[in-house]
Amino acid sequence: MDERRRHRILMVSDFFYPNFGGVENHIYYLSQCLLKLGHKVVVMTHAYGKRSGIRYMTGGLKVYYVPWRPFIMQNTLPTFYLTLPIIRNIIVRERITVVHGHQAFSTLCHEALMHARTMGYKVVFTDHSLYGFADVGSIHMNKVLQFTLADVDQAICVSHTSKENTVLRSGILPEKVFVIPNAVDTAMFTPAPNRLSCDEIVIVVISRLVYRKGADLLVEVIPEVCRLFSNVRFIVGGDGPKRVRLEEMREKYSLQDRVDMLGAVPHAQVRSVLISGHIFLNSSLTEAFCIAILEAASCGLLTVSTRVGGVPEVLPDDMIVLAEPAPGDMVWAIRKAISMLPSIDPHVMHLRMKSLYSWHDVAKRTEIVYDHALQSSEKNLLQHLPRYLKCGTWAGKLFCLVMIVNFLLLHLLELWQPVESIEEVPDMLLVQHQDEEIEHDFSEARKKS
Amino acid sequence: MPQCLLSHKKYSYSHHDQKGPSQAIDVHDIVIKKSKTRVIVSYVGILIYLATAFYSLLVKEELSTSSFWSILVGVLFDRCLQYKPVKKESVVIMPTFGVQLETHCWSGRVIHRFVPIGKILRPVLNECVTPVTCYWSLALMLHGKEKLVLVFQELQPPVKMLVPVWKALCAATNGKEISSS
Repeated sequence: MDERRRHRILMVSDFFYPNFGGVENHIYYLSQCLLKLGHKVVVMTHAYGKRSGIRYMTGGLKVYYVPWRPFIMQNTLPTFYLTLPIIRNIIVRERITVVHGHQAFSTLCHEALMHARTMGYKVVFTDHSLYGFADVGSIHMNKVLQFTLADVDQAICVSHTSKENTVLRSGILPEKVFVIPNAVDTAMFTPAPNRLSCDEIVIVVISRLVYRKGADLLVEVIPEVCRLFSNVRFIVGGDGPKRVRLEEMREKYSLQDRVDMLGAVPHAQVRSVLISGHIFLNSSLTEAFCIAILEAASCGLLTVSTRVGGVPEVLPDDMIVLAEPAPGDMVWAIRKAISMLPSIDPHVMHLRMKSLYSWHDVAKRTEIVYDHALQSSEKNLLQHLPRYLKCGTWAGKLFCLVMIVNFLLLHLLELWQPVESIEEVPDMLLVQHQDEEIEHDFSEARKKS
Repeated sequence: MPQCLLSHKKYSYSHHDQKGPSQAIDVHDIVIKKSKTRVIVSYVGILIYLATAFYSLLVKEELSTSSFWSILVGVLFDRCLQYKPVKKESVVIMPTFGVQLETHCWSGRVIHRFVPIGKILRPVLNECVTPVTCYWSLALMLHGKEKLVLVFQELQPPVKMLVPVWKALCAATNGKEISSS
C-alpha cells in the first residue's frame, strides 16, 4: 500500500470486547478489515475487570485497556481533563493520524475526540444509536454531542434515519455526515444444512428483554399468535428486567410447551438458536440499524419487525415484513410471514445477504471517510473556537472555555513530558520468527531516535 | 572497561564484560543521572511538608479536620517531589549460572536479587499502561510462577536501553546467539 494513503487509526469507545454488542462487533470487524487493507489500527477502551493493559487480538489488532474503571452502564467516569495525558501518550507513541470515536453514549469517546482536536489531529465520529429530544437524559446527551461534533472532521451514521437524527440533535452540517450501514459476518451466520419442515413453525426472538427492545409488545403478541396458529412455537433468547413479564405471560396462558425461554444466549451460540427457526421476530421500539435482523436473514430466516428507525433500510421487501409497533399489526405481519414461508429458500437468502452486506465494503467506505478527513483544512484551535460559540448562548461560551483550558493543560503537559520523550512503538509484524522481527523493529526505532 | 553506550536525559546505560571464574560475566548498568534541580525540588517538598505539619500542630490551637487534611496533602506533595534514593540498577548475567539483579542506592546500600538460569522461562519486554501514561519494562517469566520478576524495579529506562539487556538475557537463557541486525 502507498505509504501516503496508509492511515493509522485509533478507535476509541467504552464498548469493546469482552463485551458483546452491536458497537463492539462493529469496531472489531471494521478494525480487522482495515488491518487487511493495510492500515494500522489501535483500539482504546477502559479496563474490564482484570483485563487491563495492552492486549493483541486477531490480525495484530492492538487494544489498550486503560485502567479507568467503568462508572455507570460500562462508561468511564467523565473527568474532562484527566484522560488527556494517557490519550496524548497513546496518540504520540502509536503515531496516530486519525482518531475515530464510536457511540454517543461513550464518555471516553467524547473526551478522546476533544483531546485529539486540541492536539490538532483529525477526528471522525460514528453514531450507532437513535436518541430522543424531550427527556432530561436526551437533552444533556444531545448537548454533549453538540460539543463533540462542533469541531469533528467527518461523521458516520449507520442509516439515513440515524443521519437525520444525528444532524438534528447535534447541528452538524449534513454534508459532513456519511451513511455507512453495518454489515454481518455471513461466514459465521449460515443457514441450516437441511431445510426445516413447515409442519411446525418456529418463531425466534433473540434480544435483550428491556422496554426499548419491545419486550412488552411480545407479551401481547405471543399469546394471540399461539391462539390463532396452533402449529406455531416460540423460542425466546435473551435476558433482562422484562423477562419476568414474559414468564408470567407463559404461566397465565399455559404456553410452557409452546414458548421456550432460553435465557441469555452467548453470541457464539446465536446461530445455533437462529437456525432452529423459520421466522425471526424483532419488536424493538427504536433501532438505528439492527444487526440482529441481518444475522437472522443471513441464516435464512424471514424477518418480522417493527417499522421503527432505520429498520426499513436494512433488508429488501421480500426478506422482511414490517409492522407498526402495535400488537394487532404485528400479529397481522406474522400471519403474512407464515403465508410467505413456502416461497423462502434460506440458502438463496444467505447468498443474497453475502452480496448485499460485507465488512470489507464497510471498511473501504470508511477508508474514503478517513481520506476526506485528512483533506480537511489545518487550522489552529483559535480558528476553530467560533464553531463552539454556535452551540448556544451560554453553552457556546462554556464549551470555548473548556477547550481553552484543555489547550493550556496540553501545553503544560508538553513542558512536563515533551513529545520527544514519548517513545514511538514499533509496529507488530505477525511472522513466524517473532523475536527476530521484534528485534529488527526495535533496531529501526532506535536508529530513528 | 565500561562503555557508556547509550545516554538519555535521565538515564545512562553502560555495558561491560567481566572475567568470572570460568567464563565472561555480562554486566549491564542503568545509572540515573544526578540532577541538581530534582535534589532542590526534593528539599523544597520536605520543607513544605515540615511547614505544614509545624503550622497544623504548633501554631493552631487545636487540631481540626482541615489540619489533618493539610498534613495529608503535605505528605502527598512531599512524596511526589521526593528524589529517588536509587543511584543505579545493574543486571549481572552469569551464563549457565544465573542472573543477579542489583539496586544501588545513593546511601551505599545495595539490594541483590538472584535468579537461577534454570528458573527463567523467558525474558519479556512489556508495555505497561497506567491511568496516565505508558512505558516499557523488562521482566523475567519464571517456571511455575504466575508473577513476573521486574529486572529494573525502581527505574523506568527507555526501551532503547532495555533492548540490549533483553537480547543478552535471551542469549543467556536460550544458549544461542541472536544475530544483530
